[in-house]
Amino acid sequence: MTILDFKDVSIDFPTSKGVVHAVTGVSLSVGKGRRVGFIGESGSGKTTTALAAMRMLAAPGFVSAGAIHLNSLDQPNVLDLSDEAMRQIRLSKVSYIPQGAMNSLNPVMRIEHQIWDGIVAHEGPADQAALQTRSNAALEGVGLDPQIVGPLYPHELSGGMKQRVCIAIGVCLNPDLIIADEPTSALDVITQRHVMQTLRDVQAKIGAGLILIGHDMGLMAHSVDEIAVLKKGELVEFGPVRQIIENPQHPYTKELISSVPLVGGESFLDPAPAVPATGTVSEDGTPLLELRGVSKTYGTVTALHPMSFTLDGAVPKIISIVGQSGSGKSTMGSLMLGFNPPSQGEVLFKGLDINRQSADDSLAFRKEVQAVFQDPYACFNPFYRVNHALKFPFERFGLSRGADHSQAAMEEACRAVGLAPETVLGRYPHQLSGGQRQRLIVARALMLSPKILIADEPVSMVDASLRATILKNIHDLKDRHGISILYITHDLATAYHVSDYVMVLYKGHVVEAGPPADVIGAPLHPYTQLLISSIPWPDLDRDWGSAAAARAALDELAALEGRHETILRGEIAGFTLSQG
Amino acid sequence: MTDQHADAAAPETAAPDTAGLTRAQIRRMKRFDNPWRNPKLIWGLALLLSIIALGLLGRIFWDTDMVFTGAGMPRQGPVGVENLRGQVGTWTHPLGTDVTGKDILALLIVGAPNSLYVGMLASLIGMSIGIFLGFSAGFIGGRTDDVIRVGSDVMITIPPLLILVVFQAAYGDISLTIMAILIACFVWQSPTRLIRAQVLSMRESGYVQMARLSGASTGHIMFREMLPNLVPYLFGSFIANVTTSIVTAVGLEVLGLGPQRVPTLGRVIYDAINSGALIQNLWWWWGIPTLLLAVMFVGLLLVNLGLDDVSNPRLRRL
Amino acid sequence: MGRISSSYLINRATTLVLTVLIAATLIWIIPRLSGLDPASVAVGRMAAGGGSVANADEILAQLRSSFGLDQPLVVQYLLYIRNTLTFDFGLSTASFPTPVASMIANALPWTIGLMLISLIITFIIGNLLGALMVWENTPRIWKAAIPAAMVFTSIPPILSGLLLMYVFSTQLRWFPLSGPYGLNVEPGWTVDFISSVLYHGFLPAMSIVVVTFGFWALGMRGLMITVQGEDYTTLAKAKGLRPRYILYRYMIRNAILPQITAFALKIGMLVAGQVLVERIFAYPGMGKLLYDAILTQDYPVIQGVSFVIILMTAVAVFLVDLVYPLIDPRIRHGG
Repeated sequence: MTILDFKDVSIDFPTSKGVVHAVTGVSLSVGKGRRVGFIGESGSGKTTTALAAMRMLAAPGFVSAGAIHLNSLDQPNVLDLSDEAMRQIRLSKVSYIPQGAMNSLNPVMRIEHQIWDGIVAHEGPADQAALQTRSNAALEGVGLDPQIVGPLYPHELSGGMKQRVCIAIGVCLNPDLIIADEPTSALDVITQRHVMQTLRDVQAKIGAGLILIGHDMGLMAHSVDEIAVLKKGELVEFGPVRQIIENPQHPYTKELISSVPLVGGESFLDPAPAVPATGTVSEDGTPLLELRGVSKTYGTVTALHPMSFTLDGAVPKIISIVGQSGSGKSTMGSLMLGFNPPSQGEVLFKGLDINRQSADDSLAFRKEVQAVFQDPYACFNPFYRVNHALKFPFERFGLSRGADHSQAAMEEACRAVGLAPETVLGRYPHQLSGGQRQRLIVARALMLSPKILIADEPVSMVDASLRATILKNIHDLKDRHGISILYITHDLATAYHVSDYVMVLYKGHVVEAGPPADVIGAPLHPYTQLLISSIPWPDLDRDWGSAAAARAALDELAALEGRHETILRGEIAGFTLSQG
Repeated sequence: MTDQHADAAAPETAAPDTAGLTRAQIRRMKRFDNPWRNPKLIWGLALLLSIIALGLLGRIFWDTDMVFTGAGMPRQGPVGVENLRGQVGTWTHPLGTDVTGKDILALLIVGAPNSLYVGMLASLIGMSIGIFLGFSAGFIGGRTDDVIRVGSDVMITIPPLLILVVFQAAYGDISLTIMAILIACFVWQSPTRLIRAQVLSMRESGYVQMARLSGASTGHIMFREMLPNLVPYLFGSFIANVTTSIVTAVGLEVLGLGPQRVPTLGRVIYDAINSGALIQNLWWWWGIPTLLLAVMFVGLLLVNLGLDDVSNPRLRRL
Repeated sequence: MGRISSSYLINRATTLVLTVLIAATLIWIIPRLSGLDPASVAVGRMAAGGGSVANADEILAQLRSSFGLDQPLVVQYLLYIRNTLTFDFGLSTASFPTPVASMIANALPWTIGLMLISLIITFIIGNLLGALMVWENTPRIWKAAIPAAMVFTSIPPILSGLLLMYVFSTQLRWFPLSGPYGLNVEPGWTVDFISSVLYHGFLPAMSIVVVTFGFWALGMRGLMITVQGEDYTTLAKAKGLRPRYILYRYMIRNAILPQITAFALKIGMLVAGQVLVERIFAYPGMGKLLYDAILTQDYPVIQGVSFVIILMTAVAVFLVDLVYPLIDPRIRHGG
């Protein structure tokens, strides 16, 4: 028996450029107690389709054809209901768990009030004690202590806790169907696993159907029974999860699966060229980059505990710095770029302290140490054409021999990263996609041929299908252009493939370091182990654990507090790490 | 063009839960593409330009010497309007005369641009101070930032009118320019706060970091990277300050504390109230300058709303 | 919970004290910058303006001693600050020897009354209309009517005062032309008196309200559009809450917060506008007092009135700052 049927649903958005057909002819059903994943990239119509079932499309979108039947109603087509009838169905029959965990709760209302108002809106006024009992049960159901959490305001909770509150709200009236819109996209992998397992547990307990919207095939594999693959508003493939993952029919599904890099899986990189590019060797053996006892504190918070390393640069390397948000990895990046002076210790480039150098040395340092940042949307000044970002440093560093030379260099760099110069140069940033912009930033680094490139989460804001391409571009910088790269990321799987050496950062400490095959392939430190076991993979036979296991792992992590040992897993030539 | 119309009017848009797209809606949607071409901005600018045109053309086609006492018969109504003594207004003084026979039209021609001049000058000086302090606070930070922040917090609560009243009471007559400079001392606070906040957020933005990586100097970052993106905000703040400055100037003039020898709209209203124009029903004397000021303020408001739409795309709605 | 952090309190109190000190200092410095003896300047202009001054010598002596003119400048300044902070503004020169403080004490209740009523009405109406401009369930006719009402926004209240007075007092004769209450009623806590006060206060208050509510409405509109796009509003709708409840408890409740901060910053401007309105309606508040003092060149009164209005503004800002953390839980910690 099905609880929700989409029957040939089409959704249109009238815009100034004409009508955009966001969803075309989608038909599928969600069975009672079944979990269905809607997967696709941004703009695929996955969220639009699901929201149509709640009649919550953003203006000016509307369902232009088809029917959506919620079978527990007397008169099942939700599109025919009055606004008031629809209001009563929301939460009581169909509930919604939103994407932005950080911002989904009313900031000026206590947590328990935000559960009560939903109950009162559907069941009428109730006495305080009854409401309290209901909200306590709902919060306990998602593993939160109602005595502590109930009277708090949202800003006093962590992201994972807020998302669990949203789950508690979503299930408090025992709906027939829960729609979860990328419920873990803003969370760390460890928290993601815990929240996802909690959601699965409560959903199973009340026997509701679940629509899980997402873009990560790995997460889907661990979370749902059936998968619907959407592309440009059309349902391209729909079937049981095992069939979709092990025997995908549509090329787009195959692409989605293969775009998830696996630890230990096949490399997505091109084989290294026969003659690798050479780096730079100084006469007296001064290392290219050296950190000496560097630490950083902000007020009373220590972002980075003292650490030292040397990178000689003779053979170009990719060093990965892996950690979750708050681990201090981005602090390291900005210290190495000289954006931020260290609280203690010094950062040396070619033997000179980068925070105490003359204007000329500083310009030389800037030329030789470049960066790619996380957000390709923010990296271009919206006022200028994209050429500005490429041409300005090229001329500023005295590399240009005139306007023609700059133009030629830009075009060559674009081609080197796989962009056709005529389609991107001369455009304004908002006219380009995120992927195109990020590749332009890589092209910019290439034009300047620095010695070191700091790549801070270069692919985390790019659609999955483009990630591999951009990482290939960055990898080429090492192989073909002799640039040493510090790759800062939260993603262990890509670090596994691209790097020569990996450091795992946890709360400002390096907890494990060494060649990726050891550190990520066979981790020894409990934190690294937890990180790796939390990564969702598109592998149905892998055990992702239960909510209880996820909670136990978090407790174990808390017990680690205060133990600062680094597990060193072997050395590579040209890079030495030492704690303190 | 035509195919878009056809597409938008296609039958599937006739579903029950949508308002069918009218041509007017399509036209409004097209405006999304160029925020600077919005009707508020255009109407606002047209109103302001018409006041400037009144000042310029009036000087050519009208005898501005009639701003002086005794230029015509006192208490004349506008064309076709009968005054208390039963005299009907004539084309000699199309907008009538005041109690001393000054020609109202001539007063408007001379006075209206004066009000705009004071507003623009005061706002321009205030903006310059604001840009300087805002960038200093945002860039230098630390103590400098604290001093500027607290300073603007304090000064924003002091009503400029009162300090100016004290000033004028102590010094007597002031010129238009001095008045503008005095007002400017009280309109730098909001641009300072605005620019400081924007600079602080832009400092962390990707493109400023990219510029730093490109070896850009502080001057380059401030003026080439940040300033162009501040333009809509600066315009908006400028216009808001012109309004505040004119309100303050008119307030001083209506209290009789403005420049004594130069005709201003506020001064005309002051004379009218003091001579009992309200009771004698000489409505053209105070009413027409009031209306002109109202046009000026509506124009400024429309320009400001239009600029809001430019700098904040979320406000652009159908 | 619910506690205002002490650093926040100290911060706001510092701003209050600084505002008052700076205002007092400006009022003191400005006349002295001209390099003349402020007392003789005052009397000289008084004589020039008002013809003969019967007790000029007495006034001059009083002024000299109140300015402390035989003392060094620093002492003069400190003396002045002490006097000002104890509300001793000396004696009026125009209606000598009435103390300025008692003149202000008589005028202050009228101004505060008018100000409170007009500020509160304009803030509530403005924000409500601004919210309705954005709310999706607002009747269409309202959505069309509200922007039209904005035409008056940012016109100075003195102009709206003139227009309202002309239409409703001199033409239609619905409202009295001037004064705080009717000539035929005795001041006291009687129904007649209070209704007369309200009747007389209506037009002055309205002339402030019609030109200022649009400012709040526009600000609220922008904030509501932001709040409408927030995830918590989406979730509130998905929770099936009633539209009206969402409007009040989720949208307005959050959008009003920056408006309250703006309110604190705008009080100064509004009070200045009101000074002029009082003058038009011959309302016996601080504005009328100030205007009469300007006409008679009564410098001690000008000083005193300006200082008290600035003090009032600063205190109002401080009070708003104190209330703010109580309605925004995010401010309570750390500050």
